[in-house]
Amino acid sequence: MILFSLYALSACHYLDIVPDNVATIDYAFRLRSQAEKYLYTCYSYLPKLADIGSNPALLSGDEIWYFYPYQTVTAAPPDNWEIARGNQNKINPYLDYWTGTNRGKPLFQAIRDCNTFLANIGNVPGMDEMEKDRWKSEVMFLKAYYHWFLLRMYGPIPITDQNMPIFSGPDEVKVYRQPVDSCFNYIVNLIDSSLAGLPAQIDVQYNEMGRVTKVIALALKARILVTAASPLFNGNHDYDNFVDNKGTHLFNSKYDPDKWKRAEAACKEAVDACEAGGYHLYHFNPAVNTYALSPDMQTQMDIRNAVCEKWNSEIIWGSTNSMATSIQRWAQANIDPSVTNTANARPYSSYAPTMRIAEMFYTKNGVPIDEDKTWDYTRRFDLDTATKDDRYEIQPDYVTAYLNFNREPRYYADLGFDGGIWYGQGRNNDTATWHVEGRVGQYSGKTRNTMYSITGYYAKKLVNFLNVIEVPDGLYDIQGYPWPVIRLADLYLLYSEALNEAEGPGSEALKWIDLVRERAGIPSVERAWADYARDPQEYTTQAGLRKIIHQERLIEMAFEGERFWDLRRWKEAETTMNKPIYGWNVEQSDPIYYYQQVLLFNKKFEKKDYFWPIPDHEIILNPNLVQNPGW
Amino acid sequence: MNKLYAFIPFNNWGCFALLAVLFCIPQTGFANANRWDDAFFRGHGFMETAHDRPAALGGVKDDLPQKEVSGLVRDSSGAALPGVTVFVKANKSIGTTTDLNGRYILEVPDGSVLVFSMIGFETVERTVGSSSQSIDVVLSPASNTLGETVVVAFGTQKKQEVVGSVTTINPKELKVPSSNLTTALAGKLAGVVAFQRSGEPGADNADFFIRGVTTFGYKKDPLILVDGIELSANDLARMQVDDIANFSILKDATATALYGARGANGVILITTKEGQEGKAKVSVRIENSMSSPTSNVALADPITYMKLNNEAVLTRNPLGVLPYSRSKIDNTIKGANPYVYPANDWRKILFKNHTMNQRVNMNVTGGGKVARYYLAATFNQDNGVLKVDHRNNFNSNINLKTYELRSNVNISLTKSTEVGIKLYGTFDDYTGPIGGGTHYYNEAVKSDPVSFPAYFPVNSEYAYVQHILFGNTEDQLVNPYAEMVKGYQQYNQTLILAQFDLKQDLSFLTKGLTFNGLFNATRYSYFAVDRSYVPFWYEVGLYDKVNNTYSLAPINEDAGEEYLNYHEDPKKVTSTTYIQATMNYNRTFNDKDGVSGLLVFLMQNQVDGNSGSLQTSLPHRNIGVSGRFTYSYSNKYFAEFDFGYNGSERFYKDNRFGFFPSAGVAWQVSDEKFWQPLHHVISNLKFRATYGLIGNDDIGSATDRFFYLSDVNMDDPGKKAVFGLDDNYSKDGISVDRYSNPLITWEKSYKTNVGMDVGILGDANLIVDLWKEHRTHILMGRSYIPATFGLPSTAVPKANVGQANGEGIDLSLDYSKVFRSSFWIQGRANFTYAVSRFLVYEEPDFTATPWKSKVGYPIDQTWGYIAERLFVDDAEVANSPLQNFGERPMGGDVKYQDVNGDGQITTLDQVPIGYPKTPEIVYGFGVSVGYKNFDISCFFQGLGRESFWIDAAATSPFVTSGGLKTGLLKAYADDHWSEDNRNIYALWPRLSADDNSNNDQTSTWFMRNGAFLRLKNAEIGYTLPQALTKRIHVDKTRFYINGTNLLCWSKFKLWDVEMAGNGLDYPVQRVVNAGVLISF
Repeated sequence: MILFSLYALSACHYLDIVPDNVATIDYAFRLRSQAEKYLYTCYSYLPKLADIGSNPALLSGDEIWYFYPYQTVTAAPPDNWEIARGNQNKINPYLDYWTGTNRGKPLFQAIRDCNTFLANIGNVPGMDEMEKDRWKSEVMFLKAYYHWFLLRMYGPIPITDQNMPIFSGPDEVKVYRQPVDSCFNYIVNLIDSSLAGLPAQIDVQYNEMGRVTKVIALALKARILVTAASPLFNGNHDYDNFVDNKGTHLFNSKYDPDKWKRAEAACKEAVDACEAGGYHLYHFNPAVNTYALSPDMQTQMDIRNAVCEKWNSEIIWGSTNSMATSIQRWAQANIDPSVTNTANARPYSSYAPTMRIAEMFYTKNGVPIDEDKTWDYTRRFDLDTATKDDRYEIQPDYVTAYLNFNREPRYYADLGFDGGIWYGQGRNNDTATWHVEGRVGQYSGKTRNTMYSITGYYAKKLVNFLNVIEVPDGLYDIQGYPWPVIRLADLYLLYSEALNEAEGPGSEALKWIDLVRERAGIPSVERAWADYARDPQEYTTQAGLRKIIHQERLIEMAFEGERFWDLRRWKEAETTMNKPIYGWNVEQSDPIYYYQQVLLFNKKFEKKDYFWPIPDHEIILNPNLVQNPGW
Repeated sequence: MNKLYAFIPFNNWGCFALLAVLFCIPQTGFANANRWDDAFFRGHGFMETAHDRPAALGGVKDDLPQKEVSGLVRDSSGAALPGVTVFVKANKSIGTTTDLNGRYILEVPDGSVLVFSMIGFETVERTVGSSSQSIDVVLSPASNTLGETVVVAFGTQKKQEVVGSVTTINPKELKVPSSNLTTALAGKLAGVVAFQRSGEPGADNADFFIRGVTTFGYKKDPLILVDGIELSANDLARMQVDDIANFSILKDATATALYGARGANGVILITTKEGQEGKAKVSVRIENSMSSPTSNVALADPITYMKLNNEAVLTRNPLGVLPYSRSKIDNTIKGANPYVYPANDWRKILFKNHTMNQRVNMNVTGGGKVARYYLAATFNQDNGVLKVDHRNNFNSNINLKTYELRSNVNISLTKSTEVGIKLYGTFDDYTGPIGGGTHYYNEAVKSDPVSFPAYFPVNSEYAYVQHILFGNTEDQLVNPYAEMVKGYQQYNQTLILAQFDLKQDLSFLTKGLTFNGLFNATRYSYFAVDRSYVPFWYEVGLYDKVNNTYSLAPINEDAGEEYLNYHEDPKKVTSTTYIQATMNYNRTFNDKDGVSGLLVFLMQNQVDGNSGSLQTSLPHRNIGVSGRFTYSYSNKYFAEFDFGYNGSERFYKDNRFGFFPSAGVAWQVSDEKFWQPLHHVISNLKFRATYGLIGNDDIGSATDRFFYLSDVNMDDPGKKAVFGLDDNYSKDGISVDRYSNPLITWEKSYKTNVGMDVGILGDANLIVDLWKEHRTHILMGRSYIPATFGLPSTAVPKANVGQANGEGIDLSLDYSKVFRSSFWIQGRANFTYAVSRFLVYEEPDFTATPWKSKVGYPIDQTWGYIAERLFVDDAEVANSPLQNFGERPMGGDVKYQDVNGDGQITTLDQVPIGYPKTPEIVYGFGVSVGYKNFDISCFFQGLGRESFWIDAAATSPFVTSGGLKTGLLKAYADDHWSEDNRNIYALWPRLSADDNSNNDQTSTWFMRNGAFLRLKNAEIGYTLPQALTKRIHVDKTRFYINGTNLLCWSKFKLWDVEMAGNGLDYPVQRVVNAGVLISF
């Protein structure tokens, strides 16, 4: 009885069962090692840019097309392609980065975590102040990046500089969208204040490559300011009546040339920092190869590997959190005839560049195909037979379209096509390479209703030449690489663009574009236009050079997720993206019928498509948010 | 003793002191053993079964003229009732009990009134007329009885004293030919809303709620107590009706108050049988039942399937690629070669039409003055309908063996002390296909029927292989046959309860005082293992049309495996201990003033072995003191006060303990003098009224263990980041799943109940209860938090802000009559009506679109679009409000109404549509008749005011996902919009080869009325004449054939209406069963 009484008394704490040190948020900032996890948390929201289903710029525009219906056995449908098909909606938007659904990342949660980190990192005892500063600066950058990502998608956004308390009342949480200029200024200021604490470069590469450096911050700032100066955000009259319920105009309606000055300065600062940091345009180093490459193939590899070789000399920001792996499987054509078994393991081959992209590339002379005096634009759909001279580009004696002949090296580096040479994949001798045979009945051709290129083209640029398709079961070994978020050629072209807009055409503007062209194996703008273009003086006017820079940019950055945003910021999407999508007739086996241009889709792009819709439910929750025009 | 009652421990310390006192008493009790009132403990609620007393023990003869009366006593199902007490009302010493065959013989004074009584049944009185030699009676179940005891919280009460709302049922009425008890609840119990959505063995639990659902919180279903121990719905499903002594449903505040924080959703109380004094009495029941789907959803034939799949592609995209070529369709029609041009009926390939299940149940009871026992053993064999491939050396069909053992032993230590040991174990040994049967049922209707055969016969080319040549395509779709036979799963599940209780009569302290202590330990374990091989896929390589020969091409030569692999599934282990001490006082003073008191102390502790996180691994605890105090005056006026004082570990210190009082009164009008003239018409009339407060601590979610603590995941792989030259340096991140909120506390329920018991003409009883409930403090997420606030939905703060109310009627009526000696009839009917309504629900400001607000609507109300019809053509689409759900609509897609007139169809155009998804009306009625040795009964059950929605997304034909391709319902094939047949009211809109989000929206288009009436059970039985069976020493042999779900009336014809939205799942089963019950 005594024992029992003792037990009963002790049981008065019967319900106090929670041990004292159950983890609370304070534990995250008690030790450096825990705070580091919180730093990683802040990084974890970086959008998966190498994922064709998450990066809006890969599949939501007019660059890549897809077979339809696109249900596949092995991979979830990339439903962001529905945006390309004109099916975006405001009830349950695709790639909703506002709430983080439908493959979007919850970026407002990312911002809250960044703010929590910034508010608490100072309290971590025993941490080196330098390191604290660095972490803090990284998170400030990330906070700016997340705001920027939202700004680019949604236009004006609410800025969250400080977290609201968890138990905020219903009225406090109803925030307003800020005018785009305020958003740009806020983001750029945030990046500026992060610069001091960021390292110039990563010292401990083994475990820190991919973390933010000063060069990354400067390059992103350049891109942001170029965007702010671009027509979509600078004096865009389409949004003159875009006001919220307080009457605030969310867009500026007056063009401000100083924005280009600011962009130019930012580009210069970034380019200077890159040069100081030893970044330079990439050239393929054949030392790793046992075979000597022909100059043609060397140039192609300079272009391909500027993207596919990890941490090459021009990668400014490679995303370790989004490695390019499965995208390569989608892009790879089946080029090995002995792969008899085309089961799941084989390359998917369905990531198909559109005819428009094939036509976008220059001729071998470095001018657009409809401008080149020596290239017969009207014959582009005719047939031609490859000769021995074409052997690094097209399989000799193979019949293919005239369009595939005499194009610039980037055409052959970036695109796979029926008859096209595909270097690598276990054959490193460029005198004995694989090539694509893409018609029905051929080994790369369509064998079933899924997993084939609907246009007849393949995005070879994204495929590492070291990948191998195993025989006979088609297992595909992939060399992943961190997705290039920013690389040097991108920055050079931004700089050219800013110079042309701010200062007008001239040698400064041409310098940077020509550096990119040189690496691409084509003559400088001046020479190319003077010698081959129907309008040899085009580059001397601001508008002419603008057009040249735009096309150069679209070509150089093809398949890297830039075209989607560039066409928008230039306000060119409403013309370019309103044109139909074409491909070759891949249902055919005879070249005469195969090389017929087939209409795949009548693409529509409306004004409202410049920006994502804010999910309807969020507007119902917070009526202070005004929906984007047209939605 | 009054001191003890005065001591109501409202503080934490008090309860333990009380416990200490309670535990002291039995020690002294042994020393002062007083006379033991057997009735008290027997009256614990079991149904008395066999007493092996001679039939004519006889009454005491006296001087009055004696007359021998004999007869047969049966229960409402027509079975003979042994052990019924029969005595003369005026002289209780003249009495007997019925024998094993329900017969009695008694010599009584002429003209005396015979009383037939038995616990769990209505007491019947019959006057012995001058002519009557034989009096047969039928006893109705206790739910309708008066003056009998009723099992209530922590004890029993006389039916007369009950002021609250308690439904009891004769457990026999729950006997259905199924291994799942929950399937028997619908329509049988007034106040219970129940419906069954699936027929899959092991997963066919019915959903059941007491008085509907009045909360939109987490836990909505009732507390289930078996012999005082909390068990799950699954455990209830496993209970054997033959082992149940009492089955009660506690519905209102006074009935559930003693369960304090756990009783708000009502309580199901079950007690199991205990041993009966006498020689061993054995009862064996053997059943064999045949189970088959009530209806199989009809699918289109493979040819139509291919044609319409082509149509589905072309009608959406004229440029689309046809999935099936003309030649394939033509050759399939011709039946060219079943392996090259397959046309599979997967359902036939995978399943048999029906399956046989066996159940054997045996129990034995007996004992002497010192010890009594009830032992039961059950063996159930449930078989699946899956076919087995004999080329495998394992069996992949479902084979579920369930063993149950129960041992209830009571020992009288002294005249006033009884101890009991109850042991109960359920053991499931299962082997079956990986992932369970439903999975394959689903795959059968969702697999491509024309692209490959289940398998190829071995040809000369592959004569050497040992494996099955399964068919497939390069896309490696799901071959359901291969999936089913490629391996098997095995699981073993064990539930063991061991219970010790002690009953001590404390009359030596003061008369009417008793003590009861109980200790229980429950252990649960589950583990599962999969074994399977990777099938080899083959496809047709070359087909020689002339000779009709084909060659085979391997698809996954390297990946396939001939040997079995092994995979361990998650295991589950839980352990629960429970202590309860009860002090009971019951006494009548001056023959008029009845006083009773009850004090209960309880403590429960449960831990899980695999809960997954630190916070959920911490023990679940409950502690509390409850009490009941009643006063009655001359058996006419009754008053009762109940309380529960409970604590739960989930809340912050200040909010941890809650006090839940309730009170009630009752008035037995028919015992009033002024009622005497009406007595022959209305033999019984009683009014009852109660009001009180009950709590619910099971709020939030199962993982929300401690609301006052933040829940931080310090190693969240979802917040991982990766860095490094080789992309191999990573760390998990930190995430907050919950922010601390010390203010969160119980959900509260204020319940009002007004009831009336009416006995009409002595043959019929009517019980009516009207109730009303007001729930407050319902936990809900602060819904005003927008995404810009930056919290994941899991971490959005919650608060006890929601309110709802409910009201309804429970009604039960029964009737029984015996005509002459050989014919009897019984009828019974139940009706439950329960509605609910949101009172306070946090939502955005809907003043501009008031139809969006939930307030005032039922909790299970659906909001959806109003579908006007199908679009006539694309031009109409262009000129109608924009319907933007992804894919742009076309002619033949569903056209919705723009309710707010803003030119767009958005969520603001959703209005409340249809009835709630939980039925508001559930009813049942049945009749049993008996003639001589035959008995026939049938029971109908129905529900009403329920809507459901055909799951358009799940039944959308041709939609591919994960290698599966949804089948084409014949109904859709026959009646859909097409360019040739532009029927704007067709059942199915324009075909689509993939998910059409426009047509998938919840709308009135796919809304259907869920009301139905079905012949739930029917039974015909025959009891062998005793003269025959006596010779082989068998007391009773009854053969019976019964069935469930035999007929159904509903407006909905596509599949069994009770399955609601998705008819492609495992169908509800129709069972036809034959059984025999033998006792000796």
